[in-house]
Amino acid sequence: MSGIARAKWLLAAPVGAMVFGFFMVPYLNIVVMSLRQPSTTQAYGPGFTTDNFVKAATDPLYVVTLLDTLRLAAMITLITLALAYPVAFHLARTESRWRGVLYGLVLSPLLVGVVIRTFGWIILLANNGLINQAMRQLDLPRLQLMYNEFGVVLALVHIFLPFMVLPLMGAIQGIDPRLEEAARSLGADKRRVFLRVLLPLSMPGIQSGCILVFVLACGAYVTPLLLGAGRVHTTTTVVVHQLELFLWPFGAALALVLSLVGLMVVWLYARLSGRVLRGQS
Amino acid sequence: MKLWRGLFGGLIGAVYVFLMLPIAIVVMASFNSTRALRFPPEGFSLRWYVAFFESEPFMESFRLSLVLGVAATVASVLIGTPAALYYVRFAGRWREAFRLYVLAPLLLPEILTAIALLFFYYQIGIGTKSVAGLFIGHVVVCIPFVFLQVTASLYNLSPSLEEAARSLGASPWMTFLRITLPLIKPGVINGALFAFIISFDNVSISLLLKGIGSTPLPMQLFDYLRWGFDPTTAAASVVSILMTLGAVVLVDRLVGLRAMRF
Amino acid sequence: MTQLRIAGLEKRFGEVAAVRGVDLEVAEGELVSLLGPSGCGKTTTLRCVAGFEQPSGGRIAFDGTDVVPLPPEKRDIGMVFQNYALFPHMTVRENLGFGPEMRGIGAAARAKKVADVLAMVQLVGYEERYPRQLSGGQQQRVALARALVIEPKLLLLDEPLANLDAKLRDEMRFFIRSLQRRVGITTLYVTHDQAEAMVMSDRIVVMFEGRIHQIGSAEDVYDRPATRAVSNFIGQSNLLDGRVAGGGNGRWRIDTAMGPVSCGSGFAPAVGDRASAMIRPEAIELHANKTDAGCFPGRIESRYFLGNLAEFRVRMSDGSLLIVQQPAHAAHAVGAEIGVRLPAERAWLVREDVA
Ligand SMILES: Nc1ncnc2c1ncn2[C@@H]1O[C@H](COP(=O)(O)OP(=O)(O)OP(=O)(O)O)[C@@H](O)[C@H]1O
Ligand SMILES: [Mg+2]
Repeated sequence: MSGIARAKWLLAAPVGAMVFGFFMVPYLNIVVMSLRQPSTTQAYGPGFTTDNFVKAATDPLYVVTLLDTLRLAAMITLITLALAYPVAFHLARTESRWRGVLYGLVLSPLLVGVVIRTFGWIILLANNGLINQAMRQLDLPRLQLMYNEFGVVLALVHIFLPFMVLPLMGAIQGIDPRLEEAARSLGADKRRVFLRVLLPLSMPGIQSGCILVFVLACGAYVTPLLLGAGRVHTTTTVVVHQLELFLWPFGAALALVLSLVGLMVVWLYARLSGRVLRGQS
Repeated sequence: MKLWRGLFGGLIGAVYVFLMLPIAIVVMASFNSTRALRFPPEGFSLRWYVAFFESEPFMESFRLSLVLGVAATVASVLIGTPAALYYVRFAGRWREAFRLYVLAPLLLPEILTAIALLFFYYQIGIGTKSVAGLFIGHVVVCIPFVFLQVTASLYNLSPSLEEAARSLGASPWMTFLRITLPLIKPGVINGALFAFIISFDNVSISLLLKGIGSTPLPMQLFDYLRWGFDPTTAAASVVSILMTLGAVVLVDRLVGLRAMRF
Repeated sequence: MTQLRIAGLEKRFGEVAAVRGVDLEVAEGELVSLLGPSGCGKTTTLRCVAGFEQPSGGRIAFDGTDVVPLPPEKRDIGMVFQNYALFPHMTVRENLGFGPEMRGIGAAARAKKVADVLAMVQLVGYEERYPRQLSGGQQQRVALARALVIEPKLLLLDEPLANLDAKLRDEMRFFIRSLQRRVGITTLYVTHDQAEAMVMSDRIVVMFEGRIHQIGSAEDVYDRPATRAVSNFIGQSNLLDGRVAGGGNGRWRIDTAMGPVSCGSGFAPAVGDRASAMIRPEAIELHANKTDAGCFPGRIESRYFLGNLAEFRVRMSDGSLLIVQQPAHAAHAVGAEIGVRLPAERAWLVREDVA
C-alpha cells in the first residue's frame, strides 16, 4: 500500500490544479471585478465601489428581470415535474419490452444540442412556422407562440424534462412495489396509495429533480435569447448584454446577485421540503 | 378507473411525442426541397446537405468542434479518472469537500463560468486570441461528467479484487493496469462519451470564449439562427446529431458487448 | 515451510481499537483458526498479516524476519477472500496464471503450474470458463487454487465457506483440510463458526473484542474454557457464580448459591475471589431420587426432544435454571422432583476476563 499511499495525492493533483486555476480563481476574480469602478474606455476604472451591487439590487429594471427569471424558473420546474412524474412512474414500473426504447426516447434530447432543439421549436412556433401555417389553412387566427414567455417556457420544459425524469425514476424504482400492495390490502384506494405512499416515498427524487431543473432554468441563456428574441429578458441575457456593452463590473455584480438569489431559493426549498420529508418519516 | 387509465396513458404518450417533436421537425426541414418549411412538406432534397458540406464556415466549425471535442474528452478523462480513483479509494476527512470541489463546474450555471473565464483570460492577457482558452473552458465543464461515471463504476468494484492481485504479487501499478482499469473501463468510456457530447454540443462556454475565426459548430448554428432562417442549419444539425449518435453506437460496441456482461 | 509469529499486535481505526495486543505463534505446517463473534478483530488480524492493514503496534515475522515494512505483494502469501475476489474479466486459466505471471514465470512453466493446481482442486476442464459461469463451490475451489499456485509461505483464509450452503460447506471443510495437510502449508483460518474451527484446526484461537482469550485444541476450548466469554461462545454452558472456598492442586471448591461445587482449574485462584464454575449440559447427571449422594435438589420445568438428545430445563432450590442434556429417551417427566449431580471432573473454573 505504501507506494500508492505516498503517491495518492498525485491522483488528485491534476483536477485540483485545473479546477483551482480555471474555476476557483476566475470566480474569485468575478467577485473582485464586481467591486470595480465602471469605465467607458477600459474594462474597469481605478478604485473600488459597491455601487454595482446597489444598482443590481435596487434598480427596478434589474429587480423586475430577476424576479421574472425566478418566476419563469419556478414555472418551468413545476410544469416539468407534472409532465415527468407519470412518465417516470411508467418507466420505473413497466415490464413492457419497449421499455428500453422508451428510456432511450426520454434520454434522446440529451444527445441533441440545445441550439438544435431550440431550432426545432423555432420552425414550429414562428409566426409563419408550421403551427401557424396549419392554423391559416384551417382559417383560424394566427397564434403568437414565439417571442414571448410561452415559447421560452415550452422549449425549456422540453430541454429539462430528462433531468427531472431520471432522478424521479431512480426514487420510484427504489420503492418496494410490495408497499403499494400492502397499502391496498389495508384498504387504501389507488388515489390514496399515491398520495400517502408513493408521493412521500418519491420525495427525495422530486427534491433533487426540482433543484436541478430550477438551477438549470435560472442559468439558461441560449433558449431565452433565441425564442424570446429580445422580448423576454432573463438575468442571464441581461448579464451577457452588459458584457457586450463592456460594462464588466456591473455585469459581474448582476451575475453574482443571480447566483446568490438562486442558491438562496434552492436552500429555502431544500429546508422546506426537508421538513416535509422528516415529518413523513 | 378505465377513464383514469386512458388519461394517464394519453398523457405519457403526449410527453413522448413532445420529446421527439422538435428533433423530428429539424430532420424534416433538412430534407425539405424549399427554403421555407411548409406544412405539409413539399418534396425531398439533399440540397441543404450539399450546401452544408460546401460551406467553408460550416465545415471549418465542424472540424473545430470535432477536434475540440476529442481533445477535451481526452484531457477530461486523463484528469477526471485519477480524481475519481482518489475520491473512492484514498480521500480521507475531506472526501465530501473534494467531491463538491470537482463537481462545482456542474453546479453553477455554465454561462457564469464562461463569464468568469472570459474576465480571467482578459486579465491575464490572453483574451480570446487563443483556442487554448476555449479548450480549457470545455475541459473544466467536462471533468465532472467523467468523474461521476468513473466514481460510479469504482463503487461497483470490490476492493478485495485489488487486494487479491496484491496478495498474488502484483505491484500497485500492475494492479491498476491489470485489474482496476479493465474493470472500470465501461465507466471510463461512458464518461468519455458524456464529455464528448457535452463539448460537441456546448454553447454557453463557446459563446463567450470563441475567438475570431474559431467558431465551434453549435455557435455557428447559433449565429445563423440569431439573424435569420437558413435550412443549411438544419442539415448541419442533423449531421451533428449523427455525430453524437455515432459516438453512442461506438461506445455500445466498445463496452456494450463483453465488459457489461459480468 | 514457514513459521508465523505475531507479537503484541495492535490496530486502531481512529477511536476503535480493533486488535488489542495479540500474541500468536503458528508452527510450520500448522492450521490455526481465529474464532470469535462478529467484530472481534479476526479479519483485521489477518489483514495485518497479509499487509493490507498497517499495524498500529507490534511485530509480525515470517521465519523470524519482520514483514511489517513489506507491502502485500512482497510477503509471499496466498489469500482466499470471503467473496472469493476472482477477477471477473479473466477466465479460470487467467486467474490462476496471474500470480505466477507476476512472479515472472514463463508461459510454459506457468501452464504446467496451472494444470497441476487445477488437478489438485479437481477442476480440470474448466480452464476457459469465466467466474460467473461457475457454481459457488467451484468458485471457492478456484480461489483456493489461485492462492496455492504461487506456492506461498503462508495461506490466509477469511471465512472462505461463509457463502456456501450447509452441505457444500461440510464437504469443503474436509477438502480444504486434507489439501492443507497434503501441501503442508502453514495456514491461518478465520471463521465465526465453532464447528468449522473444531473440525479443521490443529489449534483454535478464541478472540473477543480484539484480544485473545484462549489458544488451544478443540478439547481445550470446549472442556476447559479459560473465560466466561469462551464458555458462552463455544457450545452451551451452565455458569454457577460464587466465591472460591478452598482447594489446591488444580481442584477447587466454589461456594455457590446452590451450595458448594467442586471443579478443576488451569490456574490457582485466591481463596475468597469471585469465580464461576462452568459445566456443560451433557455433563450433568439427573437422578430420579433427589436425596442421592452428592445431589442438589431440582424440579424439571420443561423438556424438549432434539432427536439425538433430550434437553431439560431444571429449576434449582436457589431459583437458578440449569440446562441439562440426556440421551434422547431419558424418562424424566415435567414437574418431577429430581436430584442433580455436577461431576467434579467435568466442572471447570472460569475467569471473568483474560488475566
Ligand atoms: N477500515 C476500518 N475502519 C474502521 N473500523 C474498522 C475497519 N475495519 C474494521 N473495523 C472495526 O474493527 C473491529 C474489528 O473488525 P473485524 O473486521 O476485524 O471483525 P471480524 O472479527 O472479522 O468480524 P466478522 O466476523 O463480522 O467478519 C470492528 O469493530 C470493526 O467495526
Ligand atoms: Mg471478518
